[in-house]
Amino acid sequence: MKKFLLVAFLFFGSQEAFAAGGAPCGDYGECDSFKPELNNMESLQLGALTFINHCYGCHSLKYSRWGRISKDLDIPEDIFNDNLVFGANVKLGDRMTGSMKPAVSETWFGIAPPDLTLVTRLHGSDWVYTYLRTFYEDSSMPYGVNNMVYPGAAMPNVLASMQGQQILSCKDFPVIASNGGVRRDENGNDITEEKCGYLKTIEGSGALSAQEFDEVIFNLVNFMTYVGEPSRSDRERMGWYAILFFVVFTALAYLLFREYQKDYH
Amino acid sequence: MTQKSSGFFNWINARLPIVNTYERHLSKHPVPKKVNFWYMFGALASVVLIIQIVSGIWLMFGYENTEEGAFASIEYIMRDIEYGWVIRYMHTTGASMFFAVVYLHMFRGLLYGSYHKPRELVWVFGMTIYLVMMAEGFLGYVLPYGQMSYWGAQVIISLFGAIPYIGESLEIWVRGDYYISGATISRFFALHVVALPLILIALVFMHLVALHEVGAGNPEGVDIEKHLDEDGVPLDSVPFFPYKVLNALVAIGIFGIVFSIIMFFFPEGGGYMLELANFEEANPLVTPEHIAPVWYYSPYYAMLRAVPDKLGGLVVMGAAIAILFVVPWLDRSKAASIRYKGTLSKIAMTVFIISWLMLAWLGTVPVTALRTTLSIIGTIIYFAFFLLMPIYTSIEKTKPVPERL
Repeated sequence: MKKFLLVAFLFFGSQEAFAAGGAPCGDYGECDSFKPELNNMESLQLGALTFINHCYGCHSLKYSRWGRISKDLDIPEDIFNDNLVFGANVKLGDRMTGSMKPAVSETWFGIAPPDLTLVTRLHGSDWVYTYLRTFYEDSSMPYGVNNMVYPGAAMPNVLASMQGQQILSCKDFPVIASNGGVRRDENGNDITEEKCGYLKTIEGSGALSAQEFDEVIFNLVNFMTYVGEPSRSDRERMGWYAILFFVVFTALAYLLFREYQKDYH
Repeated sequence: MTQKSSGFFNWINARLPIVNTYERHLSKHPVPKKVNFWYMFGALASVVLIIQIVSGIWLMFGYENTEEGAFASIEYIMRDIEYGWVIRYMHTTGASMFFAVVYLHMFRGLLYGSYHKPRELVWVFGMTIYLVMMAEGFLGYVLPYGQMSYWGAQVIISLFGAIPYIGESLEIWVRGDYYISGATISRFFALHVVALPLILIALVFMHLVALHEVGAGNPEGVDIEKHLDEDGVPLDSVPFFPYKVLNALVAIGIFGIVFSIIMFFFPEGGGYMLELANFEEANPLVTPEHIAPVWYYSPYYAMLRAVPDKLGGLVVMGAAIAILFVVPWLDRSKAASIRYKGTLSKIAMTVFIISWLMLAWLGTVPVTALRTTLSIIGTIIYFAFFLLMPIYTSIEKTKPVPERL
C-alpha cells in the first residue's frame, strides 16, 4: 500500500511538468521568473503610478475601485486624488473603467485594448513581466514594434522612451566539434556560427538603464499582481492562523481520542 | 438522559422520537471497533457537503445569474464583499475536496468490498450520490461564466446532440436557447442551488439510513453480527458516540489542515482546481486552444476522447459510470476485503488503479496519437476490471476470513 501511494504521489506530482507543453513565453521560450512582493508598499505605489500614467489611458481595471487601491497601498486620499485620479467626476468608490471608449479604440487599434484587472491571473505574472520587456523594433508591424512573447501583438511599446530602442540581434557562437572542444580552422581561429533572435537594447537610446527599466516593470507587474487579487496578502497571512487552529484542534482531538480508546483496547 | 428529564422534554419526546433516534443512530449505534484511516472519508464527505451548502448560500448573496453580470459578480464577491474571497475559495476548494474524499471513499469500498451483502443498497445510493455530484459540479462550474465555463459547457451540452433522432432538439431544450446564453445560466443556477442539492441531501439521508440498518463494514471483511452479547450488541463493536465521533474529529482536524493549505496558499491548485482560462470572461467568438475539464472529471473525459465517434464516446463514458452501480453483483468472491482475496484480485486492483490515474492525467492534457492509444488501453483496462470481475473473483483461491475482528 505504501509503495502504491508513493507511485500515485509521484504520478500526480509529475503532472504539472507533463502539462506544460510548448514554450510558455512564445518565441522567448521560458518566461523570466517573477516573485511578487505584495507587502512592499513602495513598489506597489510606484507600480500604480506607472500603470495610471502609461497604461490606464487605454486599459481599464474595471473590477477594481479607486478607493480600494488608495486604502490597500497606504496612499492618503488627498495625495491619491491629486496624483493618480484624472477626471473631475471620478469618485473614490467608482470602478476604474478606463478613459477610452471601446468604439473609438477599435478604430484606432483594430481591437479594443483588453481590461487588465485579471491579466496576471489569466497568463501569470511571469508572462506579463516577460511580455512587457520583450518588445523589439520591427518595421513590418503597424506600430513599428513586435513582441517575442506574443508575436503580432497589436500594442505599441508605450514604455520605449524609458527602455530605449530594442532590436533583434544575432550573436556568434563557437562551433563545438564532436570531441567536445571548440572547432578551429587551419589558422587556429575558432569557427563560429551566427544565431539570431536575441534582444539587444541600443545603448543611450532610452532614459533608463536596463536595470532601472527592469525595476520599473517589476513594480508595475507587482502592482498588477496585487490588482488581480487584492486580498492575496491577507489570504496568505490568514492562512497561517487557519492552519495553526487546525493543528491545535487535531492535537486536542487526538488526546481525547487516545484517552477514550483505552475503553476498548 | 431519559430518567431525569423535565416534563417539557418528556412531552416533546412522546411526540417526536428524540431519544430513540439519538440512541439508535448515535449513542448506541454499534460500529466495528477496529477500522483504519480509509474509513474516515465518509465522515469527511459529509463535512464537505456542509461546507458547500453554507458557502454556497453565502455566495448566492452576491452572485448574479445573468449573461452580463455573472463574471463581474464573481469579482464583486472576491473584491467588494468583506471576506467574500474566503467564501468563494472555500466553495471552489470544497468542490475539489468533495470529489477527492468521495473518490477515496469509493476506492475504500472497492478495496474492502464494502458493497458485499447486505450492503448492496448502501453502495447503489452512494453511486447515485456520485452521479448527482458530477452533474452538480458541472453546473456550478458554468456559473462564473469564464472562458472555460463557456467552452466546457459547450462540449458537454453538445454531447446530448450525439443522441440519434432527438439529439438536436434535446440540446436546445437543455440550453434553453440556440447557444449558451443567459437562459442557460439562469436554469443552471436554479438546478445547481436548489434542485440537485435537494436530491443530494435526500440521497445522503438514504445512504446513511441504509448504512445504519446493515451496519458499517471493516477492513477485515468480518461479519461482526455473528457474535453478539446478551443485549444483541456485536462483541466487536463500540458505540458511535463518543468513540467514533472522536475518531472522526481527529480526521476532521487533519482534513482541516490540508483544506487550509490548499485554500489559503494554492486556491488555483496549479490550474487544476481553478482553471486559469476562467479568469477571462466567456467569449463565444474565441475558442480556447485546449479545452480541459477540471481534474475530477478527467478520467471519464479521457474515455470520451478515446472513442473517435461522438455517440460512441458518450456511450462509453456513460457505461463507465453505469458499470459502477452493479459492482455488488459482479464480485463473486467469498471474501469481501482485498486482504483475504486471491492474487488475481490483487493484480486486477493494482492494474485498475494505475490505469485510472493514467486516464485522469490523459484527460487534462492535449491529445496526441500516443496519448489516444494510451486512453484506449486505459479504457479497455477500466472495463476489463469490472467485466472480468465475476470470473477472476470466482476462480481464485481466497484466504479464510477470521471469525472475530
